[in-house]
Amino acid sequence: MDNTIDTADTAVKRGRGYWFVDGFTELLAGVLFVLLGGALLARALVPQDSFLSRFMGIVGDVSVIKVLGFFVAIALLSWLKDRFTYPRTGFARGKRVTLAELAVFVRNIFLLVILPLLACAAVFILIPDARVALFSMPAWLPGGLGVLWVVLSWVAAERMGLPRFRWLGAGMLVAGLAVGAWQWAAGFPVVPVEALHADLMGPLPEVLRAPLEETVIRLYISLGVLIVPVGVLFAVSGLITFLRYRKENPVPYTEES
Amino acid sequence: MSAPLSQLSDLDRVIHEPARLVLVALLSSVESADFLFLLKESKLTKGNLSVHLSRLEEAGYLKVEKTFRGKIPHTEYRLTPKGRSAFDQYRASLGSIFDPKKGRV
Repeated sequence: MDNTIDTADTAVKRGRGYWFVDGFTELLAGVLFVLLGGALLARALVPQDSFLSRFMGIVGDVSVIKVLGFFVAIALLSWLKDRFTYPRTGFARGKRVTLAELAVFVRNIFLLVILPLLACAAVFILIPDARVALFSMPAWLPGGLGVLWVVLSWVAAERMGLPRFRWLGAGMLVAGLAVGAWQWAAGFPVVPVEALHADLMGPLPEVLRAPLEETVIRLYISLGVLIVPVGVLFAVSGLITFLRYRKENPVPYTEES
Repeated sequence: MSAPLSQLSDLDRVIHEPARLVLVALLSSVESADFLFLLKESKLTKGNLSVHLSRLEEAGYLKVEKTFRGKIPHTEYRLTPKGRSAFDQYRASLGSIFDPKKGRV
């Protein structure tokens, strides 16, 4: 009887994880990550005329890749699944999100992302000395992302019964911590504390201009160095999953098979 | 009869059958699915699968929908609210009889 509970749980998880059965999603996400990380690295390393133009360039590139990449990936995924996956192992329509589930999702995003961000912003606004933490962002942001990704991956692995997501999460954590440690070891720009007390709405103090520019460039380098290998990891995982799926389901299903 | 044993005898017989339990569990995690998906995931034979799907439909737990995917006719199976509620209730009943954290009854 206890086995009955396991059987039901396994079946529920298989249904939830069916979208990832063929590896296409990881493969495309991996390619997208590599493009995104590459854009960040290129923008940070290629000299530009001004700091502002470089900054706007990064924002532009990243947004275009994200928005375009997202829609292209969705269209490509549907096309691939229609022609490859559904004829082999069938079609399952993803569960619709109910209003109650959406409310829980929004609440969790608010509690886990928006609220901490607002708290950080409040700390930076109210405590001028805390603004020095901004200059160590190239170290703690990749580490923090690694931790966030491992938590999300492990939750997904548990909900969908996909052990490979645990390995992906572990890989992302290691990559995040490694990039963070690398940036930490490289040291941070020296910032005069009194300059941090400058009026936030006023002009940027000259003494902060160079450290800020260095921090922004290093931030994009560290994010690029983090995102590219994570993308490669996703792509490799997707490729292995795809090859395994193809081996198990070499031809589309027919009445005779 | 003790409380857990009485709960055991009250279990939904339609869902309690292992093959149907797998089908209902699979359908509970998606909006709808086609015959091939259920066939591959349940590893039942086509005949067996048809019989169990009919049984679930008769019980009002399942709805069969004829749709089109592109120009190709497509049959999809979807749990009805009654079916979803029966599955939730079944899991809750099993969970209260067998609590893995506290050991077996």
